[in-house]
Amino acid sequence: MIALLWINLDYAASVVLFCIGLYCVVTKNNLIKKFIGLNIMETAVFAFIVALGVVEGGDAPIMGADANAPFTNPIPQALILTGIVVAVSTTALALSLIIRIYQHCGTIEADELREME
Amino acid sequence: MEVVDIRPLLAPVLSFACAGLVFLMGRSFFWRCFWSVGAAATKLVVVMSMLPGTLKGTVYVFKLLDFTPGIGLGFRADALGMFFAVVSSTLWLITTIYAIGYMKTEHSQVRFFGFFALCVSATVGIAFAENLLTLFLFYETLTICTYPLVIHEETPEAMKAGRKYLTYTLLGGAFVLLGSVMTYDMAGTLTLSKPGILSMSSGVTSLTWLFVALVIGFGVKAAIMPLHGWLPSAMVAPTPVSALLHAVAVVKAGAFGLLRVFYNVFGVGVLRELPVVNWLAYLAVFTILAGSFVAIFQDNFKRRLAYSTISQLSYIVLGATMLTPFGATAAIAHIANQAFAKITMFFVAGAVQRTTGKTQIHELAGIGYRMPWTMAAYTVAALSFIGLPLTAGFVSKWYLSLGALEAGKWWLALVMIASSLLNAAYWLPVVYLAYFKAAPGTRLRIQEAEPMLLWPTLICAAYVIMLGLTTQVPGLPFSLAQAAVRFVFGM
Amino acid sequence: MPASALLVGVIIIPLVGAVLTPVVGGRSGRAAGPWALAVMLVTSAIALMLIVHVANVGPFSAYLGGWEPPYGIELRFDEFSASTSVICLLGTLSILFSFKYAEKELPPERIRYYYTLLLLNLTGMIGFVVTGDIFNLFVFMEILSLSGYALVAVSGERTAEMAAFKYLIMGAVSSLMVLFAIGLLYALTGSLNMADISVRLAGAEKAPAMLAIAAFTVGFMVKAALFPLHIWLPDAHAIAPSPVSAILSGLVVKTGLLGMIRIYQIYYGAKVLDLSALNTVLVWLGAISIVMGAFFAIFQEDIKMMLAYSTISNVGYIIMGLGLASQYGVIGAAVHIFNHALIKATLFLGAGAIIYRTGYRNLTDLRGIGRSMPLTTAAISIGAISIVGMPPTAGFLCKWYIALGAVEAGQPLFAVALVFGALFIFVYYIRMVNTFYFQEPVHPEILEVEEAPLSMLFPVLILAALCLIMGILGRIPLSFVEPAVTRLLAPLGG
Repeated sequence: MIALLWINLDYAASVVLFCIGLYCVVTKNNLIKKFIGLNIMETAVFAFIVALGVVEGGDAPIMGADANAPFTNPIPQALILTGIVVAVSTTALALSLIIRIYQHCGTIEADELREME
Repeated sequence: MEVVDIRPLLAPVLSFACAGLVFLMGRSFFWRCFWSVGAAATKLVVVMSMLPGTLKGTVYVFKLLDFTPGIGLGFRADALGMFFAVVSSTLWLITTIYAIGYMKTEHSQVRFFGFFALCVSATVGIAFAENLLTLFLFYETLTICTYPLVIHEETPEAMKAGRKYLTYTLLGGAFVLLGSVMTYDMAGTLTLSKPGILSMSSGVTSLTWLFVALVIGFGVKAAIMPLHGWLPSAMVAPTPVSALLHAVAVVKAGAFGLLRVFYNVFGVGVLRELPVVNWLAYLAVFTILAGSFVAIFQDNFKRRLAYSTISQLSYIVLGATMLTPFGATAAIAHIANQAFAKITMFFVAGAVQRTTGKTQIHELAGIGYRMPWTMAAYTVAALSFIGLPLTAGFVSKWYLSLGALEAGKWWLALVMIASSLLNAAYWLPVVYLAYFKAAPGTRLRIQEAEPMLLWPTLICAAYVIMLGLTTQVPGLPFSLAQAAVRFVFGM
Repeated sequence: MPASALLVGVIIIPLVGAVLTPVVGGRSGRAAGPWALAVMLVTSAIALMLIVHVANVGPFSAYLGGWEPPYGIELRFDEFSASTSVICLLGTLSILFSFKYAEKELPPERIRYYYTLLLLNLTGMIGFVVTGDIFNLFVFMEILSLSGYALVAVSGERTAEMAAFKYLIMGAVSSLMVLFAIGLLYALTGSLNMADISVRLAGAEKAPAMLAIAAFTVGFMVKAALFPLHIWLPDAHAIAPSPVSAILSGLVVKTGLLGMIRIYQIYYGAKVLDLSALNTVLVWLGAISIVMGAFFAIFQEDIKMMLAYSTISNVGYIIMGLGLASQYGVIGAAVHIFNHALIKATLFLGAGAIIYRTGYRNLTDLRGIGRSMPLTTAAISIGAISIVGMPPTAGFLCKWYIALGAVEAGQPLFAVALVFGALFIFVYYIRMVNTFYFQEPVHPEILEVEEAPLSMLFPVLILAALCLIMGILGRIPLSFVEPAVTRLLAPLGG
């Protein structure tokens, strides 16, 4: 069991990160903290997918004269680049919403906001 | 012999179109009346034009389109359907004329006449439906279109009655839908053109469940106890609506649906194997007696009529459960017999209310002197309900009793007699009040209802007598019922 | 033009159109609306050609950049992708509806961005349904989700922004679930092409495959607002501008369901897992959704809030049909995805027109509106009858088919739940119709209100007419999806 966990340490780490993030999203009262939780989750998933492509002792998959196998799998990296772009736009949107909410309500605590409704 | 003919489709569609015109042009009194009467008249003409053919054994069919793959929106005018269509179209024309007279001073007349026309179009659709899905379609249309009529007064009481009406009928509709789904799963078809599409191979248990679902579904509108609760409260509607609801369209749609379920979905052969049919018969007997019993204690004229309707409708159910040719004849014929007698009663109630403002029975003392013609019509209808020979009611009771003996259930004949006595107990006191007790303190002079209310009443009363006198009433041949029975029993 | 070029065009044209909108719209944003409308009309025309093509020759593909799968990105147009038609239709009509609406309700400097976001959202959805690549699916899902969050907040009101934030948090978590599942599938199969994954998944390990489908299901069910995961929906859909509500409720929610169908396509084909346990869960959740959605809707005063809860019920229908995994059930579900979009758009746009004219949104305040806005309320009534599933409207067919599917699957109790759940839904629509027609107005000025302007009335009436037409001609969509459903379920029967 422990050995299995040790071999898959990278996966286990991302699962733990994911759970920490989810915990923040669900329990935190401050909208910014909630959102930081979401960012942690994002990171966890990205790390998981990038880790998929790792090849032991692999080189960066750049073609050229001095390129020599084995390479790491480039596809997960490409995917995660896209994923990061998506995450950045989500973050931008969320932060701007939080700013607007603060301007309107003077607070970004979820419970205080709920009382205002 | 089946003939492709567009008329079974035209009958509902033309009157639907007229209903649309009522909505569009209804603000003017003339056009409202024109299209209302026009819708009724065209429909009657279309239906009547098929009558000679149907009597010769021709069945007119028209398949419009596939509503869902495999199940078409189809129309089919067979003997049973024609019988119902003829009754409802005839009565609709009469009721429309009455309604124009009755509603003159009411609000929202456009809405009233529009939905009125829609209702009866839907009724003809039910009569001519070729399959259970088409039947369901019009059955639900009827439910929806009656709602604005029930709550016409828009008082809290009316709204409450409307809610109750919808709750009951929509629940019923849901059961019909469920039953249709189960039927399709078992039989692979929903057609109503055969004397039964189900077979015993589906197993008694599932057939029993199906029977229960469909009977509850149609039984709500046919007001079998304990599904009758909506009917007395729906009495808040204007009288022509009550007449339409309780004599022609709604309740008879339920009864007609039950007949279709009995004769075209299950078929007599399968039903004989199902013990649950007997339970329905007991329920019908209970409804007949209990409905009459409750009616005795009603002082409101229309409420008494409502309970009488509940009781009378179960004659149809009882006749059907006998599963014998005479019983079936009685069940089918009673659709017409009860309709004409009951609508006469409602017209009388409405005429009395409009002319004198009286709605309670104890207020009717001496009314026979003030409104002699109206009360004469009432007396005819009352005698018909009691089942006196020479009236329509007698014919039903006679065949029902014959059917009971044929089925070997002699005690059902006793039920008929008991029901006659109960009917006498609540109809005759009104006659007594009307003719033999002068109203205290008022000078009696003749103050008859206005012609628009009086004439429809008299015509209906005349029909009640004609139906009792002869089997060849103009436009309402008894032989249609007999043809339907021959088809059902394969005779 | 070859079909593959059209397939690329159906995504590229609205995308480019969206990017150009702020430029074309100018500072006043006056030209933005007509421009967006024109873009959507062109897209609709292309979508129509694609559907005709798929009806004639069956599913077909296009490969971006000429790279064939499994290396390149495949766009695949099958019968389920034909929901592009309803996306284009609703998109076009909502944009038309927005002309007057945006002018009145939105700050002028936001108008052009509003149309940009609308077009982006539609692009995302079109891409989502036509892509054959699972990561591409995720990207399009994010396009439509992000623009969706922004659209909810577009009016700039406090409540709108809070609703948008709630939607964003739930939506982003669900997106991550989907991304995680995509990663798992990639780890298992080394492929991102859906058809290819389905083939390679056959021999995969069971536990990760199960984890992946669980993550997919949770992720997509949040997007679809299935009952316990629905909490973001009522606020977001009720507070968004009405044309946006129509799109969110009619279409965006459906992407979760279409996504689920795509996952089923992969898993049924691979036969790697027995999905009957998942299906049982979904059927039950569907049934609970129907009832709970209806139950909450009964207590709503706000007309749009009521409509939003009704969406939850209808998603329940579709999930139930999918979970039944019987021919009739899945056909019913697939067609209801389409029909519900029409119906709900009718209702939301109609409600939007009423709110536009009166400024009221509570049912009590709207009493008597039927007299002053007869056409709009008539259209809403048709929508109401349709969503309850009265024949001969569009809603009935689906109810009929899903109920038939339940009986077919040997679970008639779910047919009972479906049929009687629909009655529950009727309760609050009757209340709405009563309010319109049969009750005395609370505010006398409501009788003075004018009928909605033509640019609003036209979409509402078209949609209401479609609710009826799709009921009467229902066999067309039904027989259209039938081969796709047969293909989908074929591995189960074999």
